[in-house]
Amino acid sequence: MSQYFQEYITVGAFAAVGVLLVLAILGVASVIRPSNPTPAKKLTYECGVDPVGSGWSQTYVRYYIFGLLFVIFDVEAVFIFPWAIHAEALGIGGVIAIVLFMLTLVEGLVYAIKKGVLAWE
Amino acid sequence: MIEVTAGWYLSLAAVLFSIGLLGILVRRNALIMFMCVELMLNAVNLTFVAAGRALGNLEGQVAVFFVLVVAAAEVVVGLAIIVAIFRRRESASVDELATLRG
Amino acid sequence: MTFAQVLTPPSVGWIAIAPEIVLGVGAALILLFDVQYKPKRTHLGLATAAIVATAFAFAIVQYDRVQTLSQATADQAADFVATAFPFDAMIVLDANAVFGRFAMLLVTGLGLAAGWRLFERLGARAAEGLALMLLSATGFMFMASSTHLMMVFLGLEVGSIALYVLAGITRERTESDEAAIKYFLLGSVASAVFIYGVALTYAGSGSMNLLEIQGVLARNIFTRPAVLLIGIALMVVGMGFKVSAAPFHSWAPDVYQGAPGGIVGYMAAAAKIGGFAALIRILFTAFPDFISTWGPLVAGIAALSMLLGSTVALVQDDIRRMLGYSGVAHAGFILTGVVAGGAGTGEVWFYLGVYTVQLVGAFGVVAAVTGAATSGAGIDAFRGLSKRAPFLAATFTVLLLGMAGLPLTSGFVAKFGVFTEAWQAGYEWLVIVAVLASVIAFFFYLRVIVAMYMEEPVDEAVAPPGISVRASLALASLITIVIGIVPGPLLSLAGEASPL
Repeated sequence: MSQYFQEYITVGAFAAVGVLLVLAILGVASVIRPSNPTPAKKLTYECGVDPVGSGWSQTYVRYYIFGLLFVIFDVEAVFIFPWAIHAEALGIGGVIAIVLFMLTLVEGLVYAIKKGVLAWE
Repeated sequence: MIEVTAGWYLSLAAVLFSIGLLGILVRRNALIMFMCVELMLNAVNLTFVAAGRALGNLEGQVAVFFVLVVAAAEVVVGLAIIVAIFRRRESASVDELATLRG
Repeated sequence: MTFAQVLTPPSVGWIAIAPEIVLGVGAALILLFDVQYKPKRTHLGLATAAIVATAFAFAIVQYDRVQTLSQATADQAADFVATAFPFDAMIVLDANAVFGRFAMLLVTGLGLAAGWRLFERLGARAAEGLALMLLSATGFMFMASSTHLMMVFLGLEVGSIALYVLAGITRERTESDEAAIKYFLLGSVASAVFIYGVALTYAGSGSMNLLEIQGVLARNIFTRPAVLLIGIALMVVGMGFKVSAAPFHSWAPDVYQGAPGGIVGYMAAAAKIGGFAALIRILFTAFPDFISTWGPLVAGIAALSMLLGSTVALVQDDIRRMLGYSGVAHAGFILTGVVAGGAGTGEVWFYLGVYTVQLVGAFGVVAAVTGAATSGAGIDAFRGLSKRAPFLAATFTVLLLGMAGLPLTSGFVAKFGVFTEAWQAGYEWLVIVAVLASVIAFFFYLRVIVAMYMEEPVDEAVAPPGISVRASLALASLITIVIGIVPGPLLSLAGEASPL
């Protein structure tokens, strides 16, 4: 067997231990706990409020703009990590480049705030 | 034991890319078509990484960053357009978008 | 490292991207000023025009720099490389890039003036429209000046994504958002196909820098020839989508019909300039020795585009759809020049320059007749236009005749140029197809002219166009006629525009 696959034996062992651990804890719990099912206990948990109506209702996604903005800012961060690792080697030129990059992002954020898309109502 | 060479990765990427392209052609829901585009872009990423490793230079891996970011920008614009359409038509099927034809 | 060294920023050839910087920063400032001070829309428009003019001035400075570079002697070689290939040779400062900027900025200025009525209608969103226009111009200009496939891709996406939003900017209208989603879905597929081509080229040649790829191929040491060939083909297909060449044209008529009338001329012209600039750069810089491989592919796409575009345009009753299909045919005509390889660069640029000006002008007339914020333009609206709006009818006639390629218009010189190049490159059959397609194409342009001059006018009065619209239409017609009679200066300018 190649070295490559031998390294995966460790991964496999960890996975097996993880599964066994869960099974063991649930098994012990099911032996020692009292069993008393009531309809209320089987309800879907929704922050403690009784669920009403079908689970497939349509919700008003007013936060979708927040989602869109998040996606952009989240992904742009990938450029900052490689720079941070090599910040010293890249010197002042790297700092200037990354500051310009961040200023561009800030400009977008400022525009979004000024346009009022981040206001909740 | 089979050795996994770069050719395998390139083939897998080609298969993924073809599935994405096929999805664009046969599916009629704008969101699903959109996901197919993402699948195609991820096949491209796989090609870049596999080729970069096989060639022993970093350019391929750096390219993935740019493809990822461009894909995110496309997602944002695309979802905004789809939401704008959905608000008025209550449907995301491209079959109903047939005002322009001839 | 001393303190002074730390404080000195690395010397980069900023001048090589000065026009792009001006446009990008200008777009950002317009957005910020708009939300902070709520300026008048006229002022925003004038500011945008000033930004475009500044960028054009920088492009002229670049042209001067390129002239100096072309006379560089051997002992100035290091200087030459630093100036001509700044940013680790990702950008190139050569005549090809500079001519691309001239064409792009001219089209942006004309498009801004011709579509001004749309920006007035947009109300609070006018600044967004203007900024998107500047950003898309930035992206497409980068496509003309990058020597790195990743930069080409980024330029393509910056330009395209801005255009998707512009197509749907009048989002209250059903046709506008339909055009936006169609453009977006097909455009992003095209981008994915293009970048997959880049990835395969990288896998096959080991580099994404066009100059390095050429070096690798010249030494014949690449490892995966099949992968490389598929990569080249996919890049050509991706760019074919962007310039709306058949069989990848299906989005073009829909988008031209559905997108807001004031901006659609600019959208069509900008995408064509960007796409062809990148195609020229990629094919002629990286793969000149592979011309026997990509030549027939490009020739096939060209022949199909010309025939399909011309014949389908004949049966269109909507002027904007007709111009869309005529755009498909023109993509084919331009590709006819591309098959000639590096020798045809000047003719291709000449064609691109004169055609995009005609395109922006023609859509400007359509917007003036049927509205800048609406979709569609039935031919009925043009019947008897010569009596209702003689100026619009006259300029439209000039521009349509220019597109048809009648002698004494710029279109004739352009067609003659690309056909000659293709003939000399040994594609006689393609030239015969092209001439045939030109004859077919002449009829649908003629049909509109006949409708304008020979048929009874409909009762609708045409609102008199504003001063900026009239100026831009007059300029576009003037360019069409003057270049048609005295093509020499522009021909020699375009002739210099071969990539380094």
